[in-house]
Amino acid sequence: MADPDTAVKESAVIGYDREIKDILGAIDRSGSGAPSHVAIVAEPMGGRTTIVNEIRRLYGYRVHYLSLDAVVTKKAIPDFAAVPQDIILIDNCAFLSTRKIGGFDVLNEFLRTQITSKKMFITTWNIHAWQYLDAVMNIGAYFQTIVILPKMDMPVTKQMILSRYKPGDIRFIDEGTTERSMFFSVIHRTVRLPFLATDLTIPWIKLNFTVMFSKLPRKKRIQVSIEDVIFEKINRIADGNPGVAILLWENCLVDNTISLSAIRENTCALSLDVNESFILSIILSMKSVHYNDLSAIAGGEINIDQVVYRLFQQGLVQEKDGYFKISPLLLKCITDYLRKTRRLW
Amino acid sequence: MTVADTIVPNITANIAADLPFKTIDANLILYITAIIIVAYVLTYLLSFILIRVSERIGWYRTSVTMIIPLLKIVIYTVSLYYIIIASIEPSLTQLVAFSGLFGAAIGFGLKDLFADLVGGVVIIFEKPYQIGDIVTIGSQYGEVKDIGLRSTRIRTPADELVSVPNFTIFNQPVSSGNAGDLAMMIVIDLFIHPESDADTAVKILKETLVTSKYVIVSKKYPYTVLVEDFPFYKRVRAKGYVNDLRQEFEFKSEVTRRALAEFRRSGIRPPAFAPWSDNTTVQPDRGH
Repeated sequence: MADPDTAVKESAVIGYDREIKDILGAIDRSGSGAPSHVAIVAEPMGGRTTIVNEIRRLYGYRVHYLSLDAVVTKKAIPDFAAVPQDIILIDNCAFLSTRKIGGFDVLNEFLRTQITSKKMFITTWNIHAWQYLDAVMNIGAYFQTIVILPKMDMPVTKQMILSRYKPGDIRFIDEGTTERSMFFSVIHRTVRLPFLATDLTIPWIKLNFTVMFSKLPRKKRIQVSIEDVIFEKINRIADGNPGVAILLWENCLVDNTISLSAIRENTCALSLDVNESFILSIILSMKSVHYNDLSAIAGGEINIDQVVYRLFQQGLVQEKDGYFKISPLLLKCITDYLRKTRRLW
Repeated sequence: MTVADTIVPNITANIAADLPFKTIDANLILYITAIIIVAYVLTYLLSFILIRVSERIGWYRTSVTMIIPLLKIVIYTVSLYYIIIASIEPSLTQLVAFSGLFGAAIGFGLKDLFADLVGGVVIIFEKPYQIGDIVTIGSQYGEVKDIGLRSTRIRTPADELVSVPNFTIFNQPVSSGNAGDLAMMIVIDLFIHPESDADTAVKILKETLVTSKYVIVSKKYPYTVLVEDFPFYKRVRAKGYVNDLRQEFEFKSEVTRRALAEFRRSGIRPPAFAPWSDNTTVQPDRGH
């Protein structure tokens, strides 16, 4: 059995020391016979897979791993009592329920199995699905340890991304000369005023903190490298989401070279009706949802073809082999909108 | 005619005679007209902008709209002050004495209008309801669209705009369904046959409620489903919050439709007799 402190020190996972320690502590306690179930909760692309891989690496011989990729039926739940391993690790538990009448039966059955089992259950959840289920079913009560993966700060994002390369492999290009040599620069921002239906482009003053820091008195001067400026921008656009940050990085990296100007911000002004917002919140609450599952959730009340077409047309969702998922680079924008309109609680 | 009716106008007339009135000329009239127009345009513009802004900010919609009546009263008070200053240039003592007596004179002469204005001020500061609330004032039910100094405008479910005098709050009960919040509790009653399985009905109604596209559930907005047994039927009552009070009826209708369809699929029969109720959403089944 790994000592949590030692295991954390030896862990290759970046940025989740405290969370890994909590999980390993729970695994440690599970040996005492008391229930010690764990729920790992994160936003989409928020680092759940990294944690799961680390648990499997550390406790591979004790772990029975099950990844859910589609909505589960009662029959599809395995007989965990027959599994030889003592830790049941289930990824993407949002698929245990669907937001429809009768859609909680599988989850109820699973929770019954969990609380009567002698084994330890480690489950991962999409944060939006978790918050919904916690509100309507109080699922938090079934887990002794709830680990919510935090948003990453810039230094952690930088460390995480650069750890994938050898030192000196990446070239950072300072093309943003104007941006870095002036206290402020005038940019053009598209805004939509509340009483106008059309977008307006207005000049906007953008403060350049990099230059401001460099003009500080010598003793207080802070050296800001182009690397830091680039990662600051990536982290800000990704809103601290590691998966989105990596995706953004990979999209902007050309021949191991990245420039500040290549990192472009996504703007989106959403205006969705009730059905579109509802279906979008369902897709956001799951890793990816099959058309058939969406159709079952929509029922006869919603024209799912029309809604999906509208969401797809606006670039909010992506489709592959009948599965729909949120466009990763619009994750923050979509989440903010759904929170504002009370589709996410 | 009472003593007060004769004394108050006389005193007001005496004080008014002592006030240093300016000569009323075209410039003064133009100036006063300009003040009134600016005040009106300003209140209209601010209301318009704040309402549009409030529509965009979701959760805090009513927090923004509650500023509107306050702004109106500030703008109109300032305008009145400038009109008085422009007309009579009184000393502070004269202004206070004149305002009091002028107010009393208005109170006797235009009692109802004055009462409405006082009601408007009370509504602004006491906030029995705010713009955006769903309220029942007297016999009128609907969403508060505007709180003016004289009246409150309510949009009824039939899409009628009703002006309720602000004085009504003093002599009629006022109830606000959401009290400034965007969410509002909705009660949905369904009636089932006394021999039907109440447990299944509760489960269905509960799941229908929490899977609705209009619902909001949290510690602040809990939900519950209750059963009560009556001689000829069982009542299954769901209480839950709609996430935006403007969708009150859509929420109620959607939950009812889906629950009734699921009741049918699960063999839950409607009662042979169902009582009349505001929340009754099922017709009695005459076939049983």
